[in-house]
Amino acid sequence: MIADVTALSTAIGLTQLPLLTDVTIGIARVVLDGLSKAALFVLIASGLSLIFGLMGILNFAHGSLTMIGAYLGGVVMVVTVTSDTAGPTRLLLFFLAIAAVFGALTAFGAAMERTIIRPIYDRAPLFQILLTFGVVLVLDELVRIIVEFRGLQPQSDWQAAIGTAPDSLSTWYDVAGVSIRGLYLFEIAIGAAVVAAIYLFLTRTRYGLYIRAGSEDPEMTQALGIDIRRAFTVVFGIGAGLAGVAGVMLMWDPRYGASVPLGVETLLIGFIVVIIGGLGSFKGTVVASLLAGGTDATMTWVFQNHVPFPGLPEMVLFVVLVGVLIVRPQGLFGLAEVGGH
Amino acid sequence: MDPTDDRPTESVDKTHDRRGAPIDRPTSARDTALRYAETHISHVAVVFAFVLYPVVYSFLLGTPLGDEFAVLLPRIRTMIAVLYLGLFAMSFDFISGYTGYLSFGHAMFYGTGAYLVVMAANGKLPIVSPETPFFVLLLVAAALAGVLALAVGAVSFRLSGVYFAMITLGFAEVLHVFIQNWDRVSDNPRDGAAVTSPDGFELGVPGIDGLTFEIGRLVGDSVENAFGLGIDLSSAELSYYLIGAVVLVCYFALQRIIHSPFGRVLIAIRENEERARAVGYHTFFYKMGAFAIAGAFAAIAGGLYAGYRRSVAPESTFDLFVTADALLASIIGGFGTLAGPLYGHLFHETLSGILSTDSDGLARYLRETIPQSVLEAELVGIEVLRLVNVLIDGRAELYLGMIFILFVLFVPRGLLGSVRDRLGGTVSEVVAMRVRQWRKNR
Repeated sequence: MIADVTALSTAIGLTQLPLLTDVTIGIARVVLDGLSKAALFVLIASGLSLIFGLMGILNFAHGSLTMIGAYLGGVVMVVTVTSDTAGPTRLLLFFLAIAAVFGALTAFGAAMERTIIRPIYDRAPLFQILLTFGVVLVLDELVRIIVEFRGLQPQSDWQAAIGTAPDSLSTWYDVAGVSIRGLYLFEIAIGAAVVAAIYLFLTRTRYGLYIRAGSEDPEMTQALGIDIRRAFTVVFGIGAGLAGVAGVMLMWDPRYGASVPLGVETLLIGFIVVIIGGLGSFKGTVVASLLAGGTDATMTWVFQNHVPFPGLPEMVLFVVLVGVLIVRPQGLFGLAEVGGH
Repeated sequence: MDPTDDRPTESVDKTHDRRGAPIDRPTSARDTALRYAETHISHVAVVFAFVLYPVVYSFLLGTPLGDEFAVLLPRIRTMIAVLYLGLFAMSFDFISGYTGYLSFGHAMFYGTGAYLVVMAANGKLPIVSPETPFFVLLLVAAALAGVLALAVGAVSFRLSGVYFAMITLGFAEVLHVFIQNWDRVSDNPRDGAAVTSPDGFELGVPGIDGLTFEIGRLVGDSVENAFGLGIDLSSAELSYYLIGAVVLVCYFALQRIIHSPFGRVLIAIRENEERARAVGYHTFFYKMGAFAIAGAFAAIAGGLYAGYRRSVAPESTFDLFVTADALLASIIGGFGTLAGPLYGHLFHETLSGILSTDSDGLARYLRETIPQSVLEAELVGIEVLRLVNVLIDGRAELYLGMIFILFVLFVPRGLLGSVRDRLGGTVSEVVAMRVRQWRKNR
C-alpha cells in the first residue's frame, strides 16, 4: 500500500508533497468505503422505512427477515453454482436469487401482516413492538433449527455461500489511487439501483402514490376511497421483500455473511438509519444511509490510524442515533409533530 | 411540588364515601393490625411457597416418580436465576408497565450492577476497594445505576412511545459496545471477566458473623444442622435463601412505592399523561424518579447475578436480549402488575429447564426412557431420535416466542393481570376482603 502511494506520487510529480497525497488518498479511501457501507445500509433500511412511514410500525422482525433472505439466497447460490460455473453465470444466478427471495419474502410479509399484525393496529404502539419482537424469537430459532439440521454452524458466517461469488468480485481494483474490492463496487451499484427502483415505485406507480398519501394523512387517504388496509398488506410485503434483497447482498459480503446473529446486527443498523432519516421520508433514509456509511467509514479510519478502540465505529453510530434523537427527534427529513405522540 | 398535594381531599361525611357507600373503618388498634395482617396473607403464602420449595423439591425427587419430577420442576440453581432475573423483570415492569415508557435499554442498568460487582472484587475500580462488603457493593451499584438513569432520562424523557424505546436502546448499545472493548474489564473484554479471588461474596445480617454466609456457584457456604434444628442446607439452597431475602426486600420496597401517592401519579402518567400534567403534576420529575428507582433495582439484580455466577459477559448483561427476557417475563406474567414478571420469569425458566440439554431435560429423559426401537423408527421420514434432538433439545426460545406472541394477541394482561381482572382486584385485596367477611360472619 505505502509503496503504491509513493510510486503514484512520484509518477504524478508530487514527491515534494507526500502529506497532501496521503490526505487525498485517505479521503478517497474513506469516501469509497463509506459509499459501499451506505449502499448496504440503504438496502437494509429501506423496507423498514417504508413500513414505519406508512403504518408507524417499527418492525423488529426486519433484521430476522434480512437474515432469512441471506440464507435463502445462499441456498439458491450453493445449490446452483459449482466450481466450474463461470463468473457471468454466477452474477445472473445472483440476480435470479434476488428475484426469488424478494418474491418469497414479499409473500411471507403479506401473510404475516394479514394474520398477526392486523389484529393489533388499534392497540398502543407498544404492542406492535412486542409482537414483532416475538416474531424475532420464533424466526431466529426456526432458522437455527434448520441450519443446525443441515449441519451448519448458525453462529458463524456461511462460508460456502460467500464462496459462490465470482472471482471478479473478490479481486481488488484501483479506483482513485485506492484499491477496493470488486464486491464493494458491486454493492454500490446494487444500492443505487435499488434506491432508483424504490424512487420510481413511490413516484410513478399507483401504490407508490397511496404510500406517499397514506404516510402524510392515513385518514384523509381512506376518506378518498383508497383501501388503506390493502395498501398496508402490500407495503408490509414489499418491506419484507426488500429486507430479503438486502440479505442476499450481505450473503456474499465477508464483512457480514449469512449467520443467525446477522438479524440483530442489521436490525440495529436499520433502526439507526430510519430514525436519523426521519419517519415517512424515503429521501431521509437515503441521506441517513450516506451519513451513517460515511460516519462508519471515517470512524473505521480513525480507529485504524489513531484510536486503538475496536468498537469505535459501532459506538459512534449509536452516539449519532442518540444525538439525533435529542436534537431533532423527528429525524432529518421527518415531520415535526412525531416523537411526542 | 408540595407532597401533600397528592392526598385526596377529605370528604365532610366521614362514614360514607362519595358514592354514598358506608366506609368500613377500623374500630380499634387490634382491628387495624388484623386488617394489615389480612392484606398480607397472600404475600406470606407466596413467600412460604418459595421457602418450602427446596424441601418439596428434594422430597419429590425421592419419590418413585423422581425422574419425571426432575424433568418438570426447576432445579434450585434455576430458581436462583428466577429470583435475580425476576427482580430485574420487576424493575423493568416498574418503569415500563406503570408509566407506559418502554425502557428498551434496561439491560444497561443490570449490566452496570453486574460489572461493578466483578470489577470491584477484582480491584479494577477506584474508590471501591476489593474488600468492600457485598451488600455495600449492591448499594453502590444501585446508586451508580440510579445516577446513570437520571442522566439517560434527562434527555430521553423529552420523547415518548417508540422514540423513547429507541433512544434508551441507543444508550444501552453505546455502553454495550464500550464494555465489549474496555480493556480495563479483563484481557479479553469481549468474553467478559471473572472474579479472581476464591472467596465468595457474603450476604446475611450485616455485623453478625454467625448469620453471614458466602453465596455463589461452587464457592458458596453450606450449613449443617442450622440453628440446631437438624436442617442441612446445601450451598445452592443457602444461596437461594439469601438471594431470595434480598429480592423479597426489594419487592416490598417497589410495591410500597407503587402503592404510595408517587406510584399513583405514575399510573396516571400511563393512563393519560396530559391530564396528569393538567391536574398539576410535573410529570417529568415523576418519570425521572421512577426511572432512577427502576435503574437502581435493576442494578441490584445485576449485582446479585454477578455475585452468584462470579463472572460477567457482555451478552448476558448489556445485550438487547437481556432486556428481551424481562419483556417476555413482564408480558407473560402481566404488564403493570409488579409481581407478575416474577411468575412470568418462573414460567420462562421452567420451560427452559424442561427443554434444556442438561441431564434433567426432557430430551435426555426421552432418549433414556423411550425404547431403542421407537427411537430408531421413522416419523414422516425422519428418525424419531433426530426429531427429539432437533425439536426439543434446548429449543425453549422457539416455544417461548410462540407463547409470547399468543399472549400479546390474546392475553395482553398476562397471567397475573388476567387473574386480577377475574377477581376484580389484586389477589391480596380480595383475599383480605374474603377473610374479613368470614371473620364478620363467624
